[in-house]
Amino acid sequence: MLSPLHAAHYADAAVQQRAEIIENVCLARDTYRVRLRSPIIARRIVPGQFLMLRLTDVNDPLIGRAFALYDTVLDGNGEPTDLDIVYLAKGKLTARMAELTAGRFLDAWGPLGNGFPADPIEHLIMVAGGIGQTPFLALGAEFLGLRQYGCPPRKFPPSKRVTLCYGARSADMLAGVDDFQRMGIEVHIATDDGGCGHHGLVTEVLQSVLDSHPGPHRIVCCGPEMMMEAVAELAQRRGSPCQVSLETPMACGIGICFTCVAKIKDADGGWDYKRTCVEGPVFDAASIQW
Amino acid sequence: MQVQLGRLCLPNPILVASGTFGYAREMEHLVDLHRLGGILPKTVTQLPRPGNAPWRTVETAAGLLNSIGLDNDGLDAFIAHHLPYLRGLTAPIIVSIAGRTPAEFVEMAAELDRAAGVAGLELNISCPNVTGGVDYGTDATSCRKLIESVRQATQLPLLAKLTPNVTRIADIARAASDGGADAISLINTVLGMAVDWRRRRPVLGNVMGGLSGPAIKPIALRCVYQVARAVTTPLVGIGGIATIDDVMEFLVAGASAVQIGTANYYDPAVTMRLLDELPGALQQLGASSVQDVVGTIKRVG
Repeated sequence: MLSPLHAAHYADAAVQQRAEIIENVCLARDTYRVRLRSPIIARRIVPGQFLMLRLTDVNDPLIGRAFALYDTVLDGNGEPTDLDIVYLAKGKLTARMAELTAGRFLDAWGPLGNGFPADPIEHLIMVAGGIGQTPFLALGAEFLGLRQYGCPPRKFPPSKRVTLCYGARSADMLAGVDDFQRMGIEVHIATDDGGCGHHGLVTEVLQSVLDSHPGPHRIVCCGPEMMMEAVAELAQRRGSPCQVSLETPMACGIGICFTCVAKIKDADGGWDYKRTCVEGPVFDAASIQW
Repeated sequence: MQVQLGRLCLPNPILVASGTFGYAREMEHLVDLHRLGGILPKTVTQLPRPGNAPWRTVETAAGLLNSIGLDNDGLDAFIAHHLPYLRGLTAPIIVSIAGRTPAEFVEMAAELDRAAGVAGLELNISCPNVTGGVDYGTDATSCRKLIESVRQATQLPLLAKLTPNVTRIADIARAASDGGADAISLINTVLGMAVDWRRRRPVLGNVMGGLSGPAIKPIALRCVYQVARAVTTPLVGIGGIATIDDVMEFLVAGASAVQIGTANYYDPAVTMRLLDELPGALQQLGASSVQDVVGTIKRVG
């Protein structure tokens, strides 16, 4: 079988630049929000897209890491100037990143990937696990009609309701809940230890949201693979449209290394490894061979 | 800036290495592809290969360990879908091919000989992540015979890409040279491994992988230096090149050109900066051409 010539989403709007850190603040346990000055990327990026970040002038850590857009920041004239990225400081690069202060720099390239489609829907249900809430603040704001993203800006009729089902290990790992609530997003929390919200799985929270709001809706999901698989299964069982944002490890983010492959179903019932960075990271849940 | 690799003439010595630049289309808006001295698309095999199971790469100290496994859609798809784009670029296209048998190499070379827009072939006889194929890079006799047979199948200039995972790389390089290679590319990745001790598992899906990046530059420089003393065939240096100093080190050690690999992953515009900086660096040595500095390293002791 021949593959098509092009992947769906090459880095055609991406720029590589050294971006100044405006602030880098702690949001929750081991979780930080870094604000980067990059008007070009901030103008172009849409929710669900990501950028690659790398420490400047060092060879260890060597490879950049992929981070979803948390939100863009506007200047006094309403022009996007900065990018907010929320990250968990758990590895070699992110631990060092957490120590960086305003005025320092990171190497950045983006925007990358497809982002969530701008298809209007009455009720958008966002399901997040772990650090998987990060793509959903901007998405929620956009679907509530409070913010616009992209160049030219994506415009579509707003949703009546946007819900976030957010699962974390414990209450101190919940990051950015205030940001979501301030936006008018309904937040339902689940924690593994019961320290906040529902004591149990985020899929159980999703189930009750679906039960109480049977109207037209779409589920979007980001988090650990097992959780995304469970959400995809639940969505399929209930006939809900569902998109997932995959977090496969990446080395380049731009389609040249073939690291970040996921098994994507093809038309003839088989599957092929597809590059998450240039074919995703957002996929229809039904297209994934879990 | 022009360099000559046997029968192959390149506009400048800054090439991009196979497997680290996709099929070039990916990079269209991040670099000016037309400026490159040569583009080596991801290695093509005769039939499609799904590649290895994830994890496919893992970072190590100043390096990257990969086991992609030559994930590609096969030669027919390459010619039908990727070559039309590639031949529209002004940069010379050197197609990297890997076969499991000499017959596969010969058939692929013959088919690419008939296709328009191919400036040369690089024989990947050194990928550590697939079974078969690598023997031609570790055994001098089979290396020479393979290159002889491919030479008979095509008029295209041939580069032989060698593995550092041998006892005496100069022996293999001599065989490649005797077989008729126009140039020798040094080096492919260094066989390595990463272990997750907590889970008592190898990190890579394929257990072992090839190490690349700045971590392997000293090994690559050593190979270029040794081979430059053994053959007169032009050499192409590969291995951890990321700065203009790296480029100059390889040229002085004996490489006529270089390929940028892993640096494309973590610094996508790196090649453009190297092209900007190269004339100044040559000038520092009082050289007016690339060839003026190639292999000019002084003998010590």
